[in-house]
Amino acid sequence: MRHFRTLLAHELRAAALAGGTWVSAALFLALMGAVHWFAVLDGAEAPQPATPLEATFQLFWIPLLCVLPLLTMRSFAEERRQGTLAALLTTPASPAAVVWAKFTAVWLTWLAFWVAFAGFPALVAQRLGTAGDFRLGDPVVLGGGLAFIAVSGLLHVALGVFCSCLTRSSALAALLTFVGLLAFTAAGGALEKLPIESWEWLGWLREPAAHLRTFSHMEDFTRGILDARPFVLYASGMLLCLGLAVLTVEGQE
Amino acid sequence: MADASPLPEAAVAAERLTKRYGSLTAVEDLTFSVAPGEIVGFLGPNGAGKSSTMRILAGTMAGTSGRAAIWGVSVALEPAEAKRHMAYMPENNPLPEDLKVEEYLTLRARLKDVPADRVAARVAKVMEDCDLARRAARQLIGQLSKGFRQRVGIADALLAEPKVVILDEPTIGLDPHQIVGIRDLIRSLRGKMAVLISSHILHEVEQVCDKVVIINRGRLVAQGRPADLRRELIPTANFSVVTRATLADVTRATLAAEPAALIEALGETEGWTRYRLALPAASPARETLATALIAAGLPLREIAEERIGLEDIFIAATRRSPAELRRP
Repeated sequence: MRHFRTLLAHELRAAALAGGTWVSAALFLALMGAVHWFAVLDGAEAPQPATPLEATFQLFWIPLLCVLPLLTMRSFAEERRQGTLAALLTTPASPAAVVWAKFTAVWLTWLAFWVAFAGFPALVAQRLGTAGDFRLGDPVVLGGGLAFIAVSGLLHVALGVFCSCLTRSSALAALLTFVGLLAFTAAGGALEKLPIESWEWLGWLREPAAHLRTFSHMEDFTRGILDARPFVLYASGMLLCLGLAVLTVEGQE
Repeated sequence: MADASPLPEAAVAAERLTKRYGSLTAVEDLTFSVAPGEIVGFLGPNGAGKSSTMRILAGTMAGTSGRAAIWGVSVALEPAEAKRHMAYMPENNPLPEDLKVEEYLTLRARLKDVPADRVAARVAKVMEDCDLARRAARQLIGQLSKGFRQRVGIADALLAEPKVVILDEPTIGLDPHQIVGIRDLIRSLRGKMAVLISSHILHEVEQVCDKVVIINRGRLVAQGRPADLRRELIPTANFSVVTRATLADVTRATLAAEPAALIEALGETEGWTRYRLALPAASPARETLATALIAAGLPLREIAEERIGLEDIFIAATRRSPAELRRP
């Protein structure tokens, strides 16, 4: 991992200069801007169970599925297509350093997108002349939501990076990431809807299912509840995905 | 980087290397070495297994069996250490399109453990050596011509002053001027670093290399200095003679000098006939043939020993039958 910092600096610089990153950022901010604006309008029309910011974070899966695959797809697939990954691996830099650097660069970019989104509640409050009214931009909800994005992003980004290792086609990598994230998020959502507790024959699933409830994790975070279990889930998932990515890169011939 | 570590016997050692892709054997039981400071040409027809061998030596591909070592370090067991002693320019020289030459070389220098305070100086030096400093340093790699891209690849290979440089087809796609430039550059490395170079341009290899290794269908068919291979693979010395004498007179005079000689008339122009006289390579008559023909009274206009180039050696070596190869 001696070359991690050099590689990370290179990856961050490449991400900052890539047109794809800026297109993704524009798409992300447009999507989240629209989502947040509609949440504010709904809140203005009738009382809602969640504040506009909470309602916006509940729809985190939209940019997750639409934007994150665009960020992760090129990380390895493009380099494999051009042959530059093989050239990179002729240096003393280890495959693990390469994988971690690419992962960290995408994860930081993903966080930067969400941090930029944090400006929206302030913008709305300013436009509506309600500055100082925390119902529109509760710092606990905002901080918790961003913390959830950061923690869950460990696994989400790692999954995307792993998918990008599997193919030379960026489009296919994006598709694989989309399907993987959809399956993981939908599984979490479905487990919350299903009355597993009442099905005896599914009793064994109760405990593991409690850990996979992504939407519950997000709600806990936005309420300021920090549980260790989501950290373990997302961190161990990230380690698994990145470990597989390292093995895939090492095994590529 | 230059250090005081003792010289190993071989800078590059391939010992019984084998690589199989399913049922296809790309490299089989291949053994050869490159001495420190030596420039070795690695030759073979298309699909002979050159690139596979080079990739195994460079550590970008695992061999099925056998041992590859760079500067005495096993590529499979200590890949990072082996890579520290070596630079590899793969065939087609893949480069990132969106970086400037100087930026790319700076990144590569850092990844190759060039000390931080020497990075700028080393980048400047290799760009100067490879004639990139004036015209290409600040250009995007994606905008460079093929020749300049090859130069960037070679500059990258030389950045960390490695002990071993492996170049897979470095002159492919270059024009004659660029080939001469690259050839001079490679020649300047003699004695400084061991160079293993594959090329289809045999004339270039012959001018640059101390030794050649020839493989065919993944197996070693010949290795050694071109002069030694010439003796081993081409057992005759051919002379081209132009004279007005008849075949009978030429035959008589030649056999008197060397009884094992073979004589062949190639054609006649305005009364002058061209003959090919094939003598055993070790025959002492090679040095006295001209004198003997003149002494026999033949009206000679021309006599010259035909030059046996690397191309002839390559063809002779790659035509060897499997039975010949198995012979100890």
